[in-house]
Amino acid sequence: MSLVEIIFWFLSGLALISAIMVLLSKNPVHSVLWLIAVFFAISGHYILLNAQFLAIVNLIVYAGAIMVLFLFVIMLMNQNAETEPRSKSTWIKLAGAIAGGCLLIVVVAAVRDSENLIQNIGGKAYAKTAVTTHGEIGLIENLGRVLFTQYVVPFEISSVLFLSAMVGAVVIGKKD
Amino acid sequence: MLNALLLMKQELAVVAIIFILLILKLGKDRSNVTFLNIVNTLLLLNVVAGFFWNSEGVLFNEMFRTNPLMILEKNILSLGTLIISMQSYSWLKTHKHVPEFYILLLSTLLGMFFMISGGNLLMFYLGLELSTIPLAAVANFDLTKRQSSEAAMKLIISSAFSSGLLLFGMSMLYGTTGTLIFSQLPAALNGSDLQIFAFVLLMAGFAFKISVVPFHLWTADVYEGAPVAVTSYLSVISKGAVLFVFVSVLYTVFKPLAGAWYNMLFLLSLLTIIIGNLFALRQDNFKRFLAFSSIAQVGFILIGISGSSQLGSTSVIYFVLIYIFSNLAAFGVVILVSAITGKESISDYKGFYKTNPVLAWILTIALFSLAGVPPTAGFFGKFFLLMAGAAKANWMLITIAALNMVISFYYYLRVVKAIFMDKNEQPIERVAMPLMPRLALYVCIIGIIATGLVSYVYDYIHSLTAPF
Repeated sequence: MSLVEIIFWFLSGLALISAIMVLLSKNPVHSVLWLIAVFFAISGHYILLNAQFLAIVNLIVYAGAIMVLFLFVIMLMNQNAETEPRSKSTWIKLAGAIAGGCLLIVVVAAVRDSENLIQNIGGKAYAKTAVTTHGEIGLIENLGRVLFTQYVVPFEISSVLFLSAMVGAVVIGKKD
Repeated sequence: MLNALLLMKQELAVVAIIFILLILKLGKDRSNVTFLNIVNTLLLLNVVAGFFWNSEGVLFNEMFRTNPLMILEKNILSLGTLIISMQSYSWLKTHKHVPEFYILLLSTLLGMFFMISGGNLLMFYLGLELSTIPLAAVANFDLTKRQSSEAAMKLIISSAFSSGLLLFGMSMLYGTTGTLIFSQLPAALNGSDLQIFAFVLLMAGFAFKISVVPFHLWTADVYEGAPVAVTSYLSVISKGAVLFVFVSVLYTVFKPLAGAWYNMLFLLSLLTIIIGNLFALRQDNFKRFLAFSSIAQVGFILIGISGSSQLGSTSVIYFVLIYIFSNLAAFGVVILVSAITGKESISDYKGFYKTNPVLAWILTIALFSLAGVPPTAGFFGKFFLLMAGAAKANWMLITIAALNMVISFYYYLRVVKAIFMDKNEQPIERVAMPLMPRLALYVCIIGIIATGLVSYVYDYIHSLTAPF
């Protein structure tokens, strides 16, 4: 087992355990803290994939900014066990578990199926899933170049999107 | 260079209008009336200019493509926006944030244009987001009403959820095909299980936006809470834009999966028509009533799409045009009445004919067209949709759809009965019609009558659509 594999399994285990703890924690603030651990583990995965920019952005935006917002909202709303709605019946829980489980089975089966579809054409193996040809696309330099050449239109449109979202937020938030 | 600018003329025009509004907002204070006059003139110019300098081409690595059919679709949307803008004159005249209202509304229109013209799943997604997120802000424009905030909240949460599904589907599609470009996707689709699963997620995302039945739960609440002008925009323009894209994506990009999506459309359209109709039966709030009626109409559109032929795409675009005219005529009356009297329930409309004969007739013609009574265009639209669906010889679907048209007659005509026959001690008082809403309503009525009777409209759309 190479070092990369060991790190991969460690990070995956960390991400899964933290994700389960997000759901199991009774205290919402603990949930948020576990969620931050999930984001750190996922950022580690990004670094393993050589996507440094994505890793940093994931940390700054998700683990940093968005989580602070979450904490603020939770503290302002003062959520605790008494205010939790108690209306969920066992049947709804059961139905949810079955539906979620079915979805999981379908996803796993679909992914497994496409894994088996590696074809042998002319002595070369062709996967049915896309394969990245080189591992340097996630570096900041390459990402920036692609973003300002090939994907410049979506990039600019997203700025219009943010602008209109800001205008909307200001209009709604204004007091008078 | 000039050619590239001409290809994007409609997008550039909308951006230019947004900029002009921004400059007007920064400049000296203007009264709402002057402002509304300027905006409506600009929107009218936009609609007129849309019909000239048509060209065809591809820009920016196939991120943006255009052809006469897309130009026509965008013109239909521009026209609808102009009509809504003119109809909401009475409501906006006293509103505090008119420039912001138009900036947000026009940026959603820009998003729809990019969505229609996008040749790449990324562009499509961004266009879709741009056409829904500002709408949530606009849904909150009755700033003092709690219901309006509730509508905005529900709209943004449901649209975020559907975007999540859509993105998940897209990422899987990219994982299995290695491309996001529409022109390369069909060759890479082989119908493997993972691709079908990705497609189901994409379909769910679309179904949320056009409120097809298992995904319709947000519709009625959002329509009820939002200001009437925004409700009419949501139910007509944004739904129409997504439907245009839906047809073209299903018919070109996902053509290799036609067997799979026929079955999905079959099930979804049955559910949508039946549930939309049954719930519309017992609504008393006019906006909720129109929400469920619009759900049922989308069910009929899905039947047309399921036909998978050139007739299918033609009849869908034709029907959306008719639907814009008829729904906007109905909404136009509701906007006027609601802006002046604040009354929005169907029982308030009892005896409406006694006090407002002209508005009563306009509402009646609009409802006839929505129901599909022969001389109006709604009949021809639904007839062509069912014709297109019948090409698959699935008679059960067509029979159930036809039976549901009978049910829909009942609830549309119930409103007509309330307007003309029911007695009311305190009917809605006489509502004054300013010039602009009146013009808009007359345009709608002319559209309802002429689109059905002038066969040139249908032939023109048919000449632009591509064979399946």
